[in-house]
Amino acid sequence: MAKKVSDLQLLIAHTLRLGVGLAAFIAAVGGIVYLIQHGADAMPDYTRFSYTDPEFHPADYTTLDGILSGIGEMNSRSWIQTGVIVLILTPVMRVVLSLFDFLRERDWLYAVITSVVLAVIIANSLEFHL
Amino acid sequence: MTILTFTLIMLLAAYGAGLLGSLTGLGGGVVVIPVLTLCFGVDFHYAVGAALVASIATSSGSGSAYVKEGITNIRLGMFLEIATTLGAVAGALVAVWLNNNVIAVIYGLVLILTGTMQFVKKQDHTGIKGSEAARRLKLFGTWPQKDGSEKAYELKNVGRGFSVMGIAGMLSGILGIGSGVLKVIAMDNMMKVPFKVSTTTSNFMMGVTACASAVVYIQRGNIVPGIACPVLIGVLFGALTGARLLKRLDVRMLRKVFAIAVFMVAANMIYMGLTGKF
Repeated sequence: MAKKVSDLQLLIAHTLRLGVGLAAFIAAVGGIVYLIQHGADAMPDYTRFSYTDPEFHPADYTTLDGILSGIGEMNSRSWIQTGVIVLILTPVMRVVLSLFDFLRERDWLYAVITSVVLAVIIANSLEFHL
Repeated sequence: MTILTFTLIMLLAAYGAGLLGSLTGLGGGVVVIPVLTLCFGVDFHYAVGAALVASIATSSGSGSAYVKEGITNIRLGMFLEIATTLGAVAGALVAVWLNNNVIAVIYGLVLILTGTMQFVKKQDHTGIKGSEAARRLKLFGTWPQKDGSEKAYELKNVGRGFSVMGIAGMLSGILGIGSGVLKVIAMDNMMKVPFKVSTTTSNFMMGVTACASAVVYIQRGNIVPGIACPVLIGVLFGALTGARLLKRLDVRMLRKVFAIAVFMVAANMIYMGLTGKF
């Protein structure tokens, strides 16, 4: 068992901090633009949701292409969603760094276990891209 | 109500959610769901997306503080994550078929279990004789004491803990919350993990588990920017404050007060779900 905090554990902590800081910053930029443009508008109707009605799935925050092109256009919703994506990536990065840590320690059992976890996350994310 | 008012109220509520979620180890999603559904009448499928964002924010926000102290048992977390991520994938698939009222009842039941477990006495499990399976999986560890020394611990019932974590993951995929209560049952009660270790390890797992279904949620439109923005920022700062407070605060009293609030919300959710109010 690792008693001392290793360099990699410190790197993990720094990565988490950087990830959440970046996510909060990007979401805040989007949020401020959103409030300047729409702050005085009435609250959107969040009382109803549909999986089938395309009206509930605008491309600017539900598809990767839509989000990426929205960033350049300073689309506030795309910016906020980019913040969400960065937030999602922080724990994933943590798992990736842990994988390196296990490999470095030559802990093959846990290198495999960590790879399985990563594979499940990636597979589930890709499946719905198709 | 204007978007500005809604955003500011949600920002405050999310800060409180992150603070409570981090102090109680239950994650920010537990508070975010009732605020959105009961106070603002938001559809559960949006609330669940917001809860997912809150879960990841609590996990990562308080996570950086814990790893540095070497409390989190990364091996234990990683091993159990096989169960939670697979469960989350299944849960996200099931969620499409559930209407608001069914989700409300499931959520209410999880809350009742959550509230009940807050009253179960926490034991520090000293002198546990670990099982052979746990030894082979290298799940034993040490955790730092107040005086700076390290205390060793062992654990057991790996198979049972793993199965319960699969259900926890599934609930996470359906509700977006970390379902910390099942983690408490699996790790504290079954596997006999010391309390501080299980709290931080559960916190670590919550973020990873939520990620397994997060992309699916984005693509389905469950995560809507107008709600996600205040939730993300508020919960993050709340969780950071919580992680700092947790080091020197005795949260036993807070947990009991929180449990009573949880029961009231649960009763409300189940009643409204059963009578088809959502």
